[in-house]
Amino acid sequence: MAARLGWAALGAALVVAPQVLGPYYRSLALAILADVALAVAWAFFSGPTRYLSLATGAFFGAGAYTTAVVLGRLPWPLPVLAAAAVAAAMALLVGTLALRLRGPYFAVFTFGLAELAKHTLIWFETSITGTVGRLLLSPPGPVALYYTVLAVAALAVTTAVALPRSRWGVALIGIGADEERAETLGIDTTRVKIGVFALSAAFMGAIGGAMAPRWTYLDPQVFNPLVSFQTVIMALLGGPASVAGPILGAVFLGLLSEILLVKFRYLYMLTLGLVLIVVVLVLPGGLAGLVRRRRPACGSPRATL
Amino acid sequence: MAEELGHRHRGGAEARLGVKTLLLDVVVGGLTTGGIYALVALGLNLQYGLMRVLNVAHGEFLMLGAYLTYALHTGWGVNPLLTLLITGPTAFAVGLALHRLLYARLLEGDAPESIESRSLLLSFGLMFVLQNAALLLWSADLRGYSYLAIPLRGLGTVFPANRVLAAAIALALGLAFYAYLRLSLTGKAVRALMQEPEGARLVGIQTARIHALCFGIGIAMSAVTGSLVSMLFELTPFIGLPYTVTALVVVILGGLGNMLGCLAAGLLLGLVETAGVYLASSDIRLISSYAVLSLILILRPSGLFGR
Repeated sequence: MAARLGWAALGAALVVAPQVLGPYYRSLALAILADVALAVAWAFFSGPTRYLSLATGAFFGAGAYTTAVVLGRLPWPLPVLAAAAVAAAMALLVGTLALRLRGPYFAVFTFGLAELAKHTLIWFETSITGTVGRLLLSPPGPVALYYTVLAVAALAVTTAVALPRSRWGVALIGIGADEERAETLGIDTTRVKIGVFALSAAFMGAIGGAMAPRWTYLDPQVFNPLVSFQTVIMALLGGPASVAGPILGAVFLGLLSEILLVKFRYLYMLTLGLVLIVVVLVLPGGLAGLVRRRRPACGSPRATL
Repeated sequence: MAEELGHRHRGGAEARLGVKTLLLDVVVGGLTTGGIYALVALGLNLQYGLMRVLNVAHGEFLMLGAYLTYALHTGWGVNPLLTLLITGPTAFAVGLALHRLLYARLLEGDAPESIESRSLLLSFGLMFVLQNAALLLWSADLRGYSYLAIPLRGLGTVFPANRVLAAAIALALGLAFYAYLRLSLTGKAVRALMQEPEGARLVGIQTARIHALCFGIGIAMSAVTGSLVSMLFELTPFIGLPYTVTALVVVILGGLGNMLGCLAAGLLLGLVETAGVYLASSDIRLISSYAVLSLILILRPSGLFGR
């Protein structure tokens, strides 16, 4: 009950925030909300299934680029929906191809995706359209952007809370525990995996689409592998098994990046690497949902072979 | 291909000479890049084949080796070739230390799948640390020096001496490594551990020692390749990742744990890429290596020469 009250108070505070806060803190809150949405969306797929996805940067980039293309032709919230749709479509395609791969192969494949998209776009723009990058004219105001991102983040959190209680959520845990067994038990693992992967990508694309108008100029560098890593580190730092874990991780790293990223870019990324190493070595508890093989998901500790 | 070349070099005898020169250029260039690819990939393959550690920071050690050679050459005037004797052992020691501090803790007692994803994350962390440490130390500016950039004439064309030298060293090191695995007792132990870890342990092979040794060797090979790369190309702290990706492509092409396949795939990729750059353009290169990687992963996860 106390927890529920806490969530309600937090929600109310976030809704009122842009009326109270100055431009600096509003933009900081916006950035952290975007991180929260990314980390939560990553965790509700990769947490239970233990498919280590590094495709966040690709979906984020696809969403941002979609907004850049359609902004000005569609009224405001629609570009975000278009961004979500494009990212989800991309995830359906990629998922069909890549979700057959397990372990590090899947991670490597998804990591390559952002680079592949970036270089293909660079090649396309230099040799076919002849112009690299796009200007984002007439963006919506900062308060509208804030509420858009808040809405996406709230929806992502709601999904993450609701999913484990649904049939699909149980199926996801089954896939993470033992995919073959889940399939034998009659779960259509391919459909569940690809479906939830696309849902998670839709949120990432929506965040990319909603964040794009903050930059007045966008080029293919928006397909940034750093986004993928940041997201993973946020979720792992907090622990992807719960919903609160990725949120806490995102808030912590969001603040850290605010302090370090602009002035000491390399130092920030170095710290990020160190955090990742420390989390993997010292905080395997944070990694519980992703890494422990065949553990209490099915309630039988003896299955740890 | 002949048609394409015919378009570029019209006329009888001149065309034949042009084609011959171009072929030689492609072969020499291809063997140089191919030798370098094979050497980086061998180290990665050794680590993955033996320990299931997919070290994505592998290319960063190449970058650091290149910078070490650059610093020694420009700072103290050490001959770049001699720096191989410094980068190799230094990197080997660093590899031993990293294995001790980071990877050994993971390799004990966890399930294989868990080791793979955790060591991958660990390597990604390492990649960030090393790349950004290099950026803090040397900034993002292009660095380079000129070494043996003199032309060698022969076979009716001209080769840059440094390329020929780098190709020769890379090939020699690659073959020496293969011979070591094939002929020495330690090499035999390594192969035994790759094929049958349990059985190898039963006959008294010390897993932890071999793991540390191979981790060191893998990283030393990457750093030595970096020293060679620094003789040929300009450096930035970002050169590591593309080599990691290429090495992954080569390892997957050649088959995981398959060293001879890895050598062959490295040379093949070098030749194909060089020919591709001659025929098309160089910005296609990165796209094509990612595309090749993705395609192989999807179509033939066991590699072209896979078992």
